Amino acid sequence: MSQKLFYPGALDEKDGKLMQMGNKCKNCEKTSFPAVELCPFCSSEDLEKVPLSIEGTVFSFSITRVPVGPFKPPIIGAYIDLPEGTRVFGQIHADEEQVNTGMKVRVRTGVLWTEKDGTEVLGYYYVPVGVQCGGIK
Amino acid sequence: MRDVYVLGIGQTIFGKHPDKTVSDLGAAAVLAAVKDAEISPKEFQAAYCGTMFSPPTPVQSILIRLGVDRIPMYTVENACASGSSAVHLLYKDIALGACEVGVALGVESLSAYNRKFGKGLLAIEGDLQGQIGLTMPAYFAKLCNRLMQERGATLEDICYPSVKNHKAGMTNPYSQYKKELTFADIMASPMIVDPITLLQCSPQSDGAAAVILCTEEYFRKHNKKSNRSPVKISGSVISVSGAEDASYDPLALRSLIEGAKAVCEMAGVDAEKDINLVELHDAFSGEELAAYEMLGLCKPGEGVAFARSGAAQLGGRCPVNPSGGLLSMGHPLGASGVRVVADVTRQLWGEAGPNQVQEAKVGMAQMLGGVLTNIESAVVAGVHILVK
Repeated sequence: MSQKLFYPGALDEKDGKLMQMGNKCKNCEKTSFPAVELCPFCSSEDLEKVPLSIEGTVFSFSITRVPVGPFKPPIIGAYIDLPEGTRVFGQIHADEEQVNTGMKVRVRTGVLWTEKDGTEVLGYYYVPVGVQCGGIK
Repeated sequence: MRDVYVLGIGQTIFGKHPDKTVSDLGAAAVLAAVKDAEISPKEFQAAYCGTMFSPPTPVQSILIRLGVDRIPMYTVENACASGSSAVHLLYKDIALGACEVGVALGVESLSAYNRKFGKGLLAIEGDLQGQIGLTMPAYFAKLCNRLMQERGATLEDICYPSVKNHKAGMTNPYSQYKKELTFADIMASPMIVDPITLLQCSPQSDGAAAVILCTEEYFRKHNKKSNRSPVKISGSVISVSGAEDASYDPLALRSLIEGAKAVCEMAGVDAEKDINLVELHDAFSGEELAAYEMLGLCKPGEGVAFARSGAAQLGGRCPVNPSGGLLSMGHPLGASGVRVVADVTRQLWGEAGPNQVQEAKVGMAQMLGGVLTNIESAVVAGVHILVK
């Protein structure tokens, strides 16, 4: 079965697992995601590809009640703040009652949706820390 | 820098015009503007057209219908600030001496867009966040949630701009909706992204707007509406956001705050004291509530109190969206940035009928748009100050 990434370069395989990969800038020390040509903050090209922290804090979230592209509602979308100071957007897979601003979440990687031709599209999403379920329903 | 005056304005009624092309809509708006200005379109020396989803070369297809050819023409895209950008670029051409008179227009047919791409929430094709479900209402829902958490806004506060603007739209001959709404009506409409319901969103619209700008000398020579006080653009700023990290607060969008500050400095006005009316980008009701403080109409953190005091309604200290705003007027994306400049001008001329803000001398026209990865959203603000 064929697979592809939802966004080329956003994830990379490390130790047999898919990880979110960002750029750490050696000049201004900011970590940006996804990795782009130069540092978005200072335009430096002195960049190092690094995996992002796997845990973060929900800065703000919203619950979409209508379908968006391949996603069926409810779609919980959140800005997640990582310890390295990067803000990442991602979906949270959880019961909506479980989700709150300021909560800790952990990243998971896997299939986000399957295209009509059977291609599995891989990406990332978040689950509440301490909750074992929360995979794709 | 030379002073830049508004010689004429025109627009179509905003709404559903499924049988009209972008070219039809644009030509109608520019024709209305030249009739208003009482000049020949042959006078134009430059033209800028703001649009997001039109077929290629809309500005040439529109202007040849009025016999306008062989002048520099450009189509510009800058999200919901596309029309603001068209006005800004023409303003600069005139202010810096590149031409004496020209037209800035904006046009959009969401009916045509929907026929081509299907209906649905707009996410940016090829953008990382867009690929995983970040849409415009999803972004602005987060802004609403911040307003409730950080500013103590209630759902009534969030819906207030929609109630106020739908009321104003009732008496605007150009508006898409002529229907008054209550808080209960708004909350009873389908939920899109909590807490944003359908009636807190601006509608999908077709339409066009145009303004004719010129130098002071040209204005003195050609203005035939002697009853009108001359209205000039005293400030024009396009302000783009910076790279985003976890310190960013959408309630304090730097590009908007600094853009509003810069345009006020350029015009020599104090936003809190001198501005008599504002036409702004209320694509979502809560967005207007968040904008009051960022535009400097009140002190930081006091936007909810500003709304509750009635300052933003007709008859208040600084009416916001007396036209009905995007919520009631409609929002043909590229046209709105031009339409707000036209509407502020109409107010300063004293020609806004039942929607007139009494004694209006200084007005602000603002647009904001674009949600993207790696950069603070919304990504571009366009702000103009017009003075009588």
